[in-house]
Amino acid sequence: MNNYSKQDILIKAEGVSLSYGDKLILRDINFEIRDILRPGVVQGQVVSLIGRSGIGKTQLFKILAGLNSPSGGKVTLHDGKPVKAGDMGVVFQNYYLFEWRTIYQSLELAAKKNPKFKRQDIKKEINKYAEQFQLTEHLSKYPQQLSGGQKQRVSIIQQLLNGSSFILFDEPFSGLDVVVLEKIANLILQVSLSDELKTLIIVSHDIETAVSLSDTVFVLGTESNKAGATIKTEIDLCSRGLAWKEDIKYMPAFKETIAEIKAVL
Amino acid sequence: MFKQIFSPFGKINKQIFIVLAIVQSILALVFWHFASNGLVPKPLKVADAFFTLLTSKNLLDNVIISFILTIKAMAISIVITLFFSYLSVIPFFKTIAHFIVKCRYLTLTGLIFIFTLLTHDGSELKLSLLIFGIVPFFVTSFLAVIITTDNQQFEICKTLGYNNWETLYEVIVVGKADQVLEIIRQNFAITWLMITLVEGLSMSEGGVGVGTMLIKYNKYNDITNVLALQLVIFVIGLIFDLILGNLKFWLFPHSKLQIHK
Repeated sequence: MNNYSKQDILIKAEGVSLSYGDKLILRDINFEIRDILRPGVVQGQVVSLIGRSGIGKTQLFKILAGLNSPSGGKVTLHDGKPVKAGDMGVVFQNYYLFEWRTIYQSLELAAKKNPKFKRQDIKKEINKYAEQFQLTEHLSKYPQQLSGGQKQRVSIIQQLLNGSSFILFDEPFSGLDVVVLEKIANLILQVSLSDELKTLIIVSHDIETAVSLSDTVFVLGTESNKAGATIKTEIDLCSRGLAWKEDIKYMPAFKETIAEIKAVL
Repeated sequence: MFKQIFSPFGKINKQIFIVLAIVQSILALVFWHFASNGLVPKPLKVADAFFTLLTSKNLLDNVIISFILTIKAMAISIVITLFFSYLSVIPFFKTIAHFIVKCRYLTLTGLIFIFTLLTHDGSELKLSLLIFGIVPFFVTSFLAVIITTDNQQFEICKTLGYNNWETLYEVIVVGKADQVLEIIRQNFAITWLMITLVEGLSMSEGGVGVGTMLIKYNKYNDITNVLALQLVIFVIGLIFDLILGNLKFWLFPHSKLQIHK
């Protein structure tokens, strides 16, 4: 069994709901994401928000990112303040980057907003990340000249340079082939290990990949005779011994957990 | 290849396209030559007048006057357009921008008297009429660009911690700069069309420019020179179009990548 403890609340959603006119999309969403401490290991948090297509994941994603306001309830950060745009880094599903900026310029735009960096350090930091993510030779290119995988790496570096402790990933595994999927999964793990407070929230309908990377899973679904989606189950993968393990996909307990999630959806 | 030329969405290379354009032009000229019944001058006669016109100082002087007026009007128009278009994202200015768009439906002929009262001389009158004629079209085109901006462009700015003014600068001012040049390129044709109209409307206030030349040739039924002058206007338009197109690719390399994509 893993040795770990759950400490302070990093993100908290309380009674979050969202309606468009009479239509209730999200209902009474409540969850907490806590700082997980593992003695001797620098380890951030990876949380998955799983749900079927069209259930309202993107709406919840935008509320968590501070891009949309909920109709009711609130999402707060560790300091108790409601989340606002800019508090959380976002890696959009299509890895959107400014088409009019070179990769270097896009990264510079993000780094300039990080109070930890002095002006003269920005170039050094960009080069450091570019090297780490094998993008050095692409810095002077435009996004249109990069592949999907390269654009995703740039999007991730952009958020890392921006300095937010929280990064939201919208469907990061959508439409990827097996090889790229594995690379992206490793990249997400790499990011989660970069800082103790780094918290990644993966919004996805790819259950197996998302769960294999996570320490906690929230399942978004609907309940009979009730309108709107809500969190139906929270699965603590740490307590099940399913977090932070390689080749987890082959473990019987993992397969049982996947079956359990599918039954709830 | 022959099949491709006549197939919907058929793909042909650049060389074939050029050959096709040359062959079609020759066919059009041959048709024109044999269809001319005496009233409409034959192409060779127009070509002869075209080259005579090109060597005349009168044409050069008038083209320069019209061209400078066009450039001046476009420069002022683009400043006005950018001012109101950029600010159209602020509710207070949105109504003004939309009113300017609707001004497309006002005719210049109906406003010439008011503009004569408001201006001091012929060149000022032509310039103001031209600006009034161009700005609504410029604003219409640029607002369409702003309205169709992908929401994700704003969202990414916000998630990077940019405030609304910084987002406006990055997404609209910097991000749409290539579109501004494209709008100038596309609307140059409208400006060029208007200049002949404006110079014609205000002949008594100045009496110079290609528009005035055209009206004079028309007045004396000199169709050969009318067509030759039309050809001059057409060629100048094409050259300007080419220059602006290449300038856009040089200043904004990503716009070329977008086309290739």
